Amino acid sequence: MAAVQIADVRKTFGTTHVIRGVDVDIEDGEFVILVGPSGCGKSTLLRMIAGLESITSGEIRIGNRVVNDVPPKDRDIAMVFQNYALYPHMNVADNMAFSLKLKNAPKSEIETRINRAATILGLTELLDRYPRQLSGGQRQRVAMGRAIVRDPQVFLFDEPLSNLDAKLRVSMRAEIKDLHQRLKTTTVYVTHDQIEAMTMAEKIVVMHDGIVEQIGAPLELYDHPANLFVACFIGSPSMNVLKGRVELGEFITAGGVRLPLEKTPPSALGKPAVYGVRPEHLKLSADGVPGKVLVIEPTGSETQVVVEVDGQPITCLLRERVAIQRGDTISVRADPALVHLFDAETGKRLTD
Amino acid sequence: MNTAVPSSSDGKKDAGPRQPKKGSLRPSHWPFIIPALVVVGGVIVFPWIFTLWMSVNGWQIGVEQHFVGLTNYQRLLTDARFIDSMGRTLSYTALSVIAPLFLGTLAALIFNTKLPGRGILRGIFVMPMMATPVAIALVWTMMFHPQLGILNYLLSLVGIGPQEWVFHPATVIPSLVLVETWQWTPLVMLIVLGGLASLPAEPYESASLDGASGWQKFRFITFPMIIPFLLIATMIRTIDALKSFDIIYAITQGGPGTASETINLYLYSVAFTYYDVGYGSAIAVVFFILIIALSLLLIYLRQRTSWLLGDA
Repeated sequence: MAAVQIADVRKTFGTTHVIRGVDVDIEDGEFVILVGPSGCGKSTLLRMIAGLESITSGEIRIGNRVVNDVPPKDRDIAMVFQNYALYPHMNVADNMAFSLKLKNAPKSEIETRINRAATILGLTELLDRYPRQLSGGQRQRVAMGRAIVRDPQVFLFDEPLSNLDAKLRVSMRAEIKDLHQRLKTTTVYVTHDQIEAMTMAEKIVVMHDGIVEQIGAPLELYDHPANLFVACFIGSPSMNVLKGRVELGEFITAGGVRLPLEKTPPSALGKPAVYGVRPEHLKLSADGVPGKVLVIEPTGSETQVVVEVDGQPITCLLRERVAIQRGDTISVRADPALVHLFDAETGKRLTD
Repeated sequence: MNTAVPSSSDGKKDAGPRQPKKGSLRPSHWPFIIPALVVVGGVIVFPWIFTLWMSVNGWQIGVEQHFVGLTNYQRLLTDARFIDSMGRTLSYTALSVIAPLFLGTLAALIFNTKLPGRGILRGIFVMPMMATPVAIALVWTMMFHPQLGILNYLLSLVGIGPQEWVFHPATVIPSLVLVETWQWTPLVMLIVLGGLASLPAEPYESASLDGASGWQKFRFITFPMIIPFLLIATMIRTIDALKSFDIIYAITQGGPGTASETINLYLYSVAFTYYDVGYGSAIAVVFFILIIALSLLLIYLRQRTSWLLGDA
């Protein structure tokens, strides 16, 4: 196991800047998830850690060693790919043994390691099957098995669950998390799915356009997003945002709707700003803001209601079951203590 | 796949859609396959049955046709010229499969890299495949010429004495294989290149992380994954080489003596020079069985290596 340090790393393809100066410190044994929309550079960054992409400038360290010019095979890492990248002509046991055979490991050791990995992942029955005879979930487990037998310093996962169906994804999520808790190997995991990031990570790195928007624990990002991008990206359904300006003790939307604030950041007074509130922090309340119901989506455990406020659709997530219909007018109220304010120009969080 | 539509001959009104049994054919469908049956019957099945019929008959020019049973086949067993030609066919085939396969794979690996100007080079490389056999035979006959040919001149440049090429019994088969190889290496190259292009990239990245060197990647990943393609190339080459006639006939007519007489050429002589059609047919039947047997073996091997057919 080892810590990974990424210091001012940049990557350009021709004139395109894919990674524009990224700094991330990953502690020994930590589970870190790189998350962001497509094209944000997260996979490129992972491949740079793996050594599959060169580093234009900056420095990547694994343990105490700068690995910029170390070939992938000497970095002591194992990677799980989105398409599993299994060797189609080898059975499960041979797939897992391949790296050890290349290292000329003794036969008995190869067997011990394969059996150990197969037991951990529940693959014992499948060792002589070929990849094409396995389901997606099983293939993904083999890919992980191949990583485990190497006993590497760092595990790298590149969107490993993207090719699985929704139900399997949920169970594999738990399996990977459990695996990390048992093995305690430093893990860097890339995904575009913020739910995966929230549920699995110890630390999340939110990336956008080749830069890091925010690094922090899942709930820290959820409760205190550093900027509008993180606020909207993390959380599902995503945060409601309204444009307007801050006045003493209240926020006035562009359409003149007045929303109460608990505290007024002095620096923001009178300035254009963005008001953000999470759907579950909105409640039905007689003294709230009235709005027309556009959509009602009951899921059983909760009801998602889209209300038009100030000409904009606002999503509310209600725990209780409510007898409302499309076209009704209801009043919703945000808990002022749970409201977020952002600078309208920079998107940065306005702190109090 | 179910392409049948409910036909009016049913007469019943079904509550739900009925699934006709897979492969079932209703009488109303017959007219549509009759043209195909006629063509297949006329150009494939009939000649075959007729050949079989001829092979159990004495059928020579000037002699009245008469049934002889398996006499023609018995004659084959003691016909030294037939047995020799069989051996020659097999060695000629083996060489003209192995050489293009090896060189074609090598060429495919080279053309699969980011070689500068590879589009043009590839185009030049596949040109021999497009030439007509008689033209090829003419050009190579000139090149093989012991005194005037360019091949002996080239050998002289590296200090090797003149060879007799197709004009000597010992070197005629390898020389003909050289022509065959020159013409058909591009085909193997194209097949293997197609195979290489279809290989997924991820296993290679995975292998880089697993610590494989360039040679190990070829040995343990590329090679096993292109085996299905190599088998296809082998199959095509084997059938082609077994049947090879035009180039051999145009360059040597089976000579010197009978040193390059393969089954095909012997068959030709028997049937069209000696006009012993019955005996010639027996040779054709045995030859056909040989081709079918080899093809079945290759198809079997191809199916054994069907890992690329799965969606793994």
